[in-house]
Amino acid sequence: MIKMHINTQQTHGTISRYLYGQFAEHLGRCIYEGIWVGEDSPIPNTEGYRNDVLKALQNLNIPVLRWPGGCFADEYHWMDGIGPKSKRARMINNHWGGVEENNHFGTHEFLRLCELLQTEPYISGNVGSGTVREMQQWVEYMTLDGESPMAGLRKENGREEPWKLPFFGVGNENWGCGGNMRPEYYADLYRHYSTYVRNYGGNRIYKIACGPNTADYHWTEVLMREAAGLMDGLSLHYYTLPTGDWSGSKGSATEYGVDAWFSTMKNTLYMEELIVKHSKIMDKYDPEGRVGLIIDEWGGWYDVEPGTNPGFLYQQNTLRDALIAGINLNIFHNYSQRVKMANIAQVVNVLQAMVLTEGDQMLLTPTYHVFHMYKVHQDAELLNVSFDSPMYKHGAEMIPQINMSASVDANGAIHLSVCNLHHAESASIRCLLEGAEGKQVTGTILAHSSLNAHNTFQQPNEVVPVTFTGAKLEEGELIVELPPASVVVLELK
Amino acid sequence: MMEQRQNHCKGCMESVQISSEKLERLVEIATRGRESVPDEEYARRMEQCQQCPGLQYGTTCRYCGCLIAVRARLQDSVCPFPLVPKWDSSAAI
Repeated sequence: MIKMHINTQQTHGTISRYLYGQFAEHLGRCIYEGIWVGEDSPIPNTEGYRNDVLKALQNLNIPVLRWPGGCFADEYHWMDGIGPKSKRARMINNHWGGVEENNHFGTHEFLRLCELLQTEPYISGNVGSGTVREMQQWVEYMTLDGESPMAGLRKENGREEPWKLPFFGVGNENWGCGGNMRPEYYADLYRHYSTYVRNYGGNRIYKIACGPNTADYHWTEVLMREAAGLMDGLSLHYYTLPTGDWSGSKGSATEYGVDAWFSTMKNTLYMEELIVKHSKIMDKYDPEGRVGLIIDEWGGWYDVEPGTNPGFLYQQNTLRDALIAGINLNIFHNYSQRVKMANIAQVVNVLQAMVLTEGDQMLLTPTYHVFHMYKVHQDAELLNVSFDSPMYKHGAEMIPQINMSASVDANGAIHLSVCNLHHAESASIRCLLEGAEGKQVTGTILAHSSLNAHNTFQQPNEVVPVTFTGAKLEEGELIVELPPASVVVLELK
Repeated sequence: MMEQRQNHCKGCMESVQISSEKLERLVEIATRGRESVPDEEYARRMEQCQQCPGLQYGTTCRYCGCLIAVRARLQDSVCPFPLVPKWDSSAAI
């Protein structure tokens, strides 16, 4: 029996809704076919955006959408993607082996998508191969309310009013595909480029600097030392690989046993160590916590589905991905004093996607269901949960079996999201809720008898959330019986 | 805990262009232990794929991301062309 304590009267800051951000990259079938099919497509669409995907994503309350990359951002020249589609430049996406990009999905199409999803745009600017002028003009084109060459061009292209652009990334992975830079060099470039990312009229841009690759603490040290005062956020990218091996096989998305299940859980928990260590460096230069840690690429990454084009990075999504999502979101909640935004990669048809499409069909993934279950935490107040987790032992290694977070929303409802990482053992929890009467508990669970269960186009409802009956209130305490390999969200009123 | 470094970014790792040797290997891996269609049916499907506007890079279906040489070979495959699958012999190409 796990003894737990939550003081429901003591809150620890707001869980930003931006932790539930998504990422749409020009890669594989994410944008084209996944989101954008064009107005002439036989697939039912609204202004070229496929209706099934729009509806599914609208139901997630996505707060922010990052675009156009990823690696694509540092090859992207935004002027190629405006104006009449028939006249737009066709380009070669060198990062993806010479894929032809017709630029039919450009600035207007992305910002319209954000409007349809009622989400806020986060644009990644091009530092790797773009110019300061190009970046300055893009921001002016999108946000200037008044007379200027760029505002005039925008109006010529059919958009009279400027858009609101709340988030802008000054480069992407500049330690890698964004220029193979040293942090000292990028820090100077950041200072240079970000100067020209201007606030026009009432638009205020939250400027995000390219942060470290996983455990590159030196990068964080240099960026914070040299440029903290000029940034609002610093990004961090970390992906969960079952094997942890970038040069060989990352592991199958669907064919795995207990060893890979355990290593995936362990590698997912590594996110917490990364946040703690990078935050410690940030604390040194920014003790007030003004600069947000922005985890703008995260998620599970496996070998592509057999028989699919390797360059499309198309992977399936199983119960294991549900745990990856649940664990990461819990970690983000618990460190929300420093972590201000996160964007899972990627929203459709690529890495840990919310939805998968095939022709005119679409399915919701287990990850989608976790995001849907967890959205009750958006903008709620974080509650501290005290407990000692039993250890999940596997061979010579062990990790905590239980991962969780809790919050109280504006209506006073308390939500607990709990992940049982163990592949075979259930867990019993007895939770004292100090300061709350707790008259009623309801819940939803995502679980399955098979560890590698997933949804297919033939069986799209194999893994779906169902009502959870394993929780009850007893003399003011919450009693929970948590099945193995499960994600549960409880609501107490 | 673990010291893990991710030294590659997404764009440095894979290409959509596939050599014939690699394609052969990928087809062999993907079809291993799965039921195949007879050669005549495989040829019929491939011919339709070759004429399809959804064919990309000579190897890949834009509607599912599959290598057509794999998809067409497998017994349980269906054509993912939106609304009007093309492998159905009654459908127009």
